[in-house]
This record gives sequence, structure tokens and C-alpha cells, in this order.
Amino acid sequence: MAVRVAYFDFTCCEGCQIEMTNFGDAAFLELLNHVEVVEFREAMSEKTTEPIDIAFIEGSFSRESDRKRLEEIRERASIVIAYGACAATGGINALKNHQGDYKKAVYGKDSEMPHLDSMCARGVDAAIKVDYKIHGCPMDKNEFVRVVSHLLHGKEPVIPDYPVCVECKQNETVCRYQLGDHCLGQVARAGCGAPCPADGIPCEACRGFVSNPNEEALEKVLIENGGLSAERAKYKSRMFAANHRSDAVKE
Amino acid sequence: MSVKFIKETDFNDFVGKMMEARTVVGPVAKKTKFVFGELESVDQLRLDYDVTILPPKKLFFPPRQDLLKFHGQKGTSCICPQPKVLFGVHYYDIKAIDQTDFLFNENNADQNYLANREATTIIGTTIQNVSPRAFFGSVGKNVNPKGHDGFLTRINGGWVFETLTSKGRDLLDFGKFIDADDAQKAEAAKVNTEEKTKSPEKIKAEGDVVAQKVRKSFSEDELWEEFAKDCFSCGSCNIVCPTCYCFDVQDNWNVDQHSGARTRSWDGCLKADFAECSLGQGACENFRETKGSRFRHRIMRKAVYSNEKLGGPACVGCGRCSLSCTADIADPVNVINRIVEG
Amino acid sequence: MACGTCNCNSPEIENLFMPKEALITETKWMTKDTKHFVLKWADGSKVSHQPGQIVEASLFGFGEIPLGFATSPTQENSFELVIRQVGRVSTALCKLEAGDTMLIRAPLGKGFPLDELRGEKVMIIAGGLGIVPTRSLINYITDRRDEFKSFTLFYGARNPSELLFKEDLVKWRSSKDVHYFETVDGCCEEDNWKGNTGVITTLFKQAEVTPDTKVIICGPPIMYRFVMMELYKCNVPHENVYVDLERRMKCGVGKCGHCQINDKYVCIDGPVFKYSELDSKEEAL
Repeated sequence: MAVRVAYFDFTCCEGCQIEMTNFGDAAFLELLNHVEVVEFREAMSEKTTEPIDIAFIEGSFSRESDRKRLEEIRERASIVIAYGACAATGGINALKNHQGDYKKAVYGKDSEMPHLDSMCARGVDAAIKVDYKIHGCPMDKNEFVRVVSHLLHGKEPVIPDYPVCVECKQNETVCRYQLGDHCLGQVARAGCGAPCPADGIPCEACRGFVSNPNEEALEKVLIENGGLSAERAKYKSRMFAANHRSDAVKE
Repeated sequence: MSVKFIKETDFNDFVGKMMEARTVVGPVAKKTKFVFGELESVDQLRLDYDVTILPPKKLFFPPRQDLLKFHGQKGTSCICPQPKVLFGVHYYDIKAIDQTDFLFNENNADQNYLANREATTIIGTTIQNVSPRAFFGSVGKNVNPKGHDGFLTRINGGWVFETLTSKGRDLLDFGKFIDADDAQKAEAAKVNTEEKTKSPEKIKAEGDVVAQKVRKSFSEDELWEEFAKDCFSCGSCNIVCPTCYCFDVQDNWNVDQHSGARTRSWDGCLKADFAECSLGQGACENFRETKGSRFRHRIMRKAVYSNEKLGGPACVGCGRCSLSCTADIADPVNVINRIVEG
Repeated sequence: MACGTCNCNSPEIENLFMPKEALITETKWMTKDTKHFVLKWADGSKVSHQPGQIVEASLFGFGEIPLGFATSPTQENSFELVIRQVGRVSTALCKLEAGDTMLIRAPLGKGFPLDELRGEKVMIIAGGLGIVPTRSLINYITDRRDEFKSFTLFYGARNPSELLFKEDLVKWRSSKDVHYFETVDGCCEEDNWKGNTGVITTLFKQAEVTPDTKVIICGPPIMYRFVMMELYKCNVPHENVYVDLERRMKCGVGKCGHCQINDKYVCIDGPVFKYSELDSKEEAL
């Protein structure tokens, strides 16, 4: 019997759902032999209230009013997966946690509209129990397929917990630091296959940090080796890892 | 076997003919660095390289290698060596290959490595440019490179090609080789002796003294934690090391959810969970939990633990770990010299 | 079978990682998370392992885990394994039932040194799951009882419900072949436990251990140090002590590096080591 899956989105750009539809090839169609998609806003209009086997939640938890909907999803779903950086860690949304006047800066005269009444951005595990996380901005569709594959077999998915450097070295990518650039690969969680450094872009740690990031050494290396100013080095990893950093706002 | 000479002007023709007949892997440029890659044209070959990002182990022991394929619970072996010529290997990497040959062969012969190795003809070459962090001249001096099939030395006006096996001799067919004369042989010998003095970094003691003193430093936990303070546990030093061969094994299904592969991929003892095992009921034990203990294990592994069976240190002085470590703490020369100098 | 990668027709090259099929003939849950399996080789071959040797047990798609043989080679036509559900592979394996196939690479590693134990006083100290691999030796000794002098067995579990091989325990308690002592770390009233309570070292008060005894220890990492302190008090020299170690053994053939302790690989140089081989080796215990 096909496994019933549903997709839900919260505070995000829905880019991870788009990434999903980017499969468009045999791999995704083959996967559809094994799963039945019952709710997926970017690709279909149906909605259900039935129990689901796997709920994929995209987007961060950034409004108290979202808590109820998250709890309902949790109740309906056997397995909850936070996918994409926002849902997994708060992602780029968590930048606001360090920004006092963001509403005025972003929305100007509309800043008092009630739906903008938000709090600190966090991963959805701040509201409900999350079974697994698929990291990344956007999440990696190959990793997605692997996680789903493992779950279909009742196997706990293997989520990498080592730095992106591992993958760069295995790919024999020239290190950004050896090209006079900087990079966050030493603390960033791998699993993406390190495409950015291979394409000439430093890793921004969009998958968040590994479990034990050496933040102190990173700051030092960014300054001494990466040529960043002390100020920039200090906050460099905030873009995607604000909630993983030791200075994360704890509310 | 034999010592031949080929003129500089005939050399590219030799490589071209060899490429027509064989798959040839050699040093090629990648951005500002070098890698071993399959040659598509003769002018890609960069025998003037200093060091490659990854050592040639990747040809025998790829970063990801399927050990078995499966359909349901039926397994199939997938050892399928592709013959090739590995052309232009520096002597430190030849020493490293000789070590991994031994290690994959001892106790239980691992054909997933050995079959690839046997299908490969290895031709060494002179180090024309030296990596800034190399120290090959001061490590394992009593260990001679062996196991390769031929060696090319650049001398005035051409190359001296010493064939060492029949696999090496077979390549003579592709070029206009003549017997090398005594002067050419002497010049080649001089070049190859001199290259060993050209590495910029130096370990300040002999291998057995290093082994003794490093072993003795094992219990100095504070020292090791200090060495490893800036360590990211990223395993770069392991992955680029020509004598590191640890691996992880994972199974994955193909998208049909029925077939799949059991795959090994390069692992590294610097990674945080390398020696972790679950004991059940939520408990787990990490036998090398601290950064310092993992850093120490690598240095012990290179300078002490395997010396007896390898006949020298398990480090060949290529300097890749030093180059790849963004925190610049991996350099065995700094670590070992600090220990031997007390 | 030819190469599975392409159509090259290269001759089959022996692959260290190819498992053999074993047929499961019986299973039984021993505790809520620990399952007992009786197996026989699908090709009909007899068992050929030594007590203390290990297997890599697997299911394709899930992976492999190292386990110790729970039976002695004196049991020729079948072998037994005990699996506790702790991770991906063990959870998948525990779902298997009689009639299913398990994939096994075995025998691997070095077991108990029977030649050094024959004709000697033998003592086995097993804590928790440590009873599983040592049972391969316990059964060997009880099956060939006259080859050994006195035989003492200490077994400790966390609580009475965690005791494994309950049928064996009944036999051992009344057997003349083994001086059997048991303990649990703790128990509650419903357990109705009449035996000793306390960590395994409390059993040393009940038994006499002479310096010429060959002692085998297998248990959780924390246990070794405390047992060694007791053995020191009994004047048992390190040369007479053997430990059966657990590490993260991934390949089982001495290559992958995960179980390396100093210059030793637990999977091929062990899992059984003479204590005197290890006491100079850091990180071993």
C-alpha cells in the first residue's frame, strides 16, 4: 500500500516545494509508485483532514498563531519531517531574531498589519516534536529521495553530521581559502554534495552547523585566512545558522 | 629491467600514442591546483605539477565505491577493474601506494582495491616543482619507493625512462626510445637524488626517534588538546592523505526501492563520531570523544602504530594535510618537531 | 556470477564483503528489546567458528552489524545469535522470523584461546550482553567438561527482566559442571528476585579466585576497570586475563579503521585479547 504523504508550509518562500517539482524526471515518477501525495500546495489543490503517514513541513515557526496548525499536523501524522532550512533550524528567517526594527525596515507604513505580528523565527521543532530534518536552502532533492526511501523501508534515515569540507575534498574541489576566498564549509553540515564551492561560491552553511561546530576557530580562520574584517567574521555564519550559533536568541 | 631515453621533441608523440591505445590518467590543472585526471589531450598533461589535491589512491579506492549490488536480499559482486596507465606519479605517492597495497592485502585480501590496483600500470616521475608544505625529504628516508612499473626522469634534452616491470616495458612500444647512455643515466640518478633535498619543511629527527618520542607523548592530554584547539573535525587531513584508507559502509536502495548497493566511502578518524558505538538503551560510547584524542590518533597512526609492519612511518611527507587544513594545525612537521624538541 | 557492473564477463573475483545466506529456524524474544535467533547455513555447511569469534550480520538496504556467536562449535548443525534493537540494522534484523534469511559474513576475528584454557581453571565474568559471546565458550566448556579444571561463571544484569538465556540459567544454577554466581544491579518487588543484588564485583565475596585461574571478562566498557581491581586483589596476573572487547566494527576484516585501538584492530586481532597485550595500549580499556 502506498505511503500517504502531505506537504505543509509555514514561514518560507516555498522554494523547497518548487525544488521537489524540479525532479520532473523518472526518479520522481518512480517514487510516486510508492507514495501517494494527498496534499501539496505548489502542485495540487486538494486538501484532506485524513491521517497521514509522513508530513513534510516547510518553513519556520515564527507566529504563535501557527502553533495550533502545527499541532494538528503532528496529531494526524505518524512521522513529521522538517524539510528545508527554515523548518529545520529557522533558516534565513532567524536573521530577524537579531534585528530590532525589521518590521519598519521591511514593511514601512504597512508594518502594523496584524499578520506581521511575529516572534522569533525557529525551526518547527520549537512547537512540535519533529522526527527527522532534511536540511538545506533549498533542501537537496536527492537527499529527500534517500530519506523517503529509508522511511518506506522502516529504516531510520541517515542524516550526515560532518562538515562540508569532507564533500569538497572527496570531490577534489579547490578549497576557497586556497583561492584567496573565505568559506563556512568547516562548520556547515554536509549532505548537499558541496556544489557551491565547486561552482566558485563559498559555502554559507545553508544546512546549518554540524553538531559540534568550532565557532571560535571559524572566526579566527575567517579573519586570518579568509581576509574578513573582525566584525564580519564574527557574524558571518548568522545568515543561515543564527539559531545554531552560541549567541542564538533564546527568547 | 632497462633504461631508455626519449628526446623532448618525441615525448608528446609518445604520450599521444599511449593515449590512443590506453586509458591514461595523469596530473592535470584544476584552477590554480592539480588533480589526477583522465587525459583527453596530450597538452593537458602537467608533469610540472607540485602536488595534486587528492593522492592517486582515488583510482584504486574511489571516494565512493560500490562493494556489492543487491536485488532484494540477493547480492552481486561488482569488482570490475578497468585497465589504465597512471602516469606521472611523484616518488612520495609511489611509497604511499606501496603501503596501501600492503594494507589492503594483509590478513584479508581486499579485491575491491587490489583488482583496480593490478589493472593499473604506474609510471613515476621526477618532482619538477615542489609543494610549499612538502617534507618528503625528511620522513621515511630508509623506505624506498617500489611497486611501480617505470620511472621517468627529466634531464637535459629529454627523459630517461627506467622500466621496472613488463607492464612498464610494454609502454616502450608507443615512443621512439633508445638505450640511455651512461651520462644520461648518471644525470637521471643525480636529479632523483637531488629532488629529495628540495622539500622545504623538515622533521628534525629520524623515524625511530620520532616514533619513540611521539609514543611517549601519548598521555600528555593537555598538549594534544592544545594542538587540536582549532580543529574543525572536518577530516580534510584524512581525506587528502595518501596513506589514509579508513572507510564507512552504507546501504541505499535505488529509486525502485528493491535494488540498491552496499557502498563504502572515505571516512576519517578526525570526524567526531568515527569511534562512536551505540551500546543500547540510548547509551553510546565514543572511544575518542575529544578533539585532542582524535588529533593524537592520526599522528600516532602516521608516526608510530604502523611503523613495524610498514618498515617506516605511514607518512610520506607530501604535505597535503598541511595544505588542506584551513586552521593550519594539521602539519605533522610542526607537531612532531614540537614533541621531539620537547 | 560475472561482474554486476557491466557486461565485461570478468571472472568472479572473491569479494570479502559478500555475505552468505543463513536460514532462521527459530526466534524468541528474550527481553522486550532483545531477540534470540537459531540459524543454519542455507548451503547446508556445518559451523566452523571458534568460541568468541564474530559475525557481520546484515540485510541488504539496512547494513551490517558485528555480533558474537552465542553458541559453541560443539553444536555443529546450527548457530545462535542474539540481537538487541539499538540501531537501524539491529531493528531491521529483529523483525526477521523463522523461515526468513539473514545475511552473514563469518567467522571473523580471533576467539578465545582454547589451547591456553584447556587443562586450566577457567572463570568467566559476563555483564549485560557480555553473556552472549561468552556463552559460546560456556557451552564449549560444559560440552567438553573434562578438558578443563574448575569452571566458575559470574553473570550480572541490570535487573532480573534483563537476564538472558533463562533456560540456561536454570541449568547452570543446579549444574555440577559450573560454579555459577549471578547478580542484578537492582530489582523491584514484582521481580520476586531472591538472588544477589549489587554490581558484578560484589560476587567476588562469594567465590574463591586463585591466581592460577584463567579469567575471561566481557561486558560494558565501565565494567572492566572494576573487575580488574578485584582480580588484582586475588593476585591474578594480567597474563591470565582475557577481555572480549566491543568497538564500532564496520568492515570486520581489518580495513575500515573504525575499531582500531593503537596498532590493533578489534575485528581481526580480537575481539578477544590477552589483557597483558592491552595494558600498555592506551584507549583499550
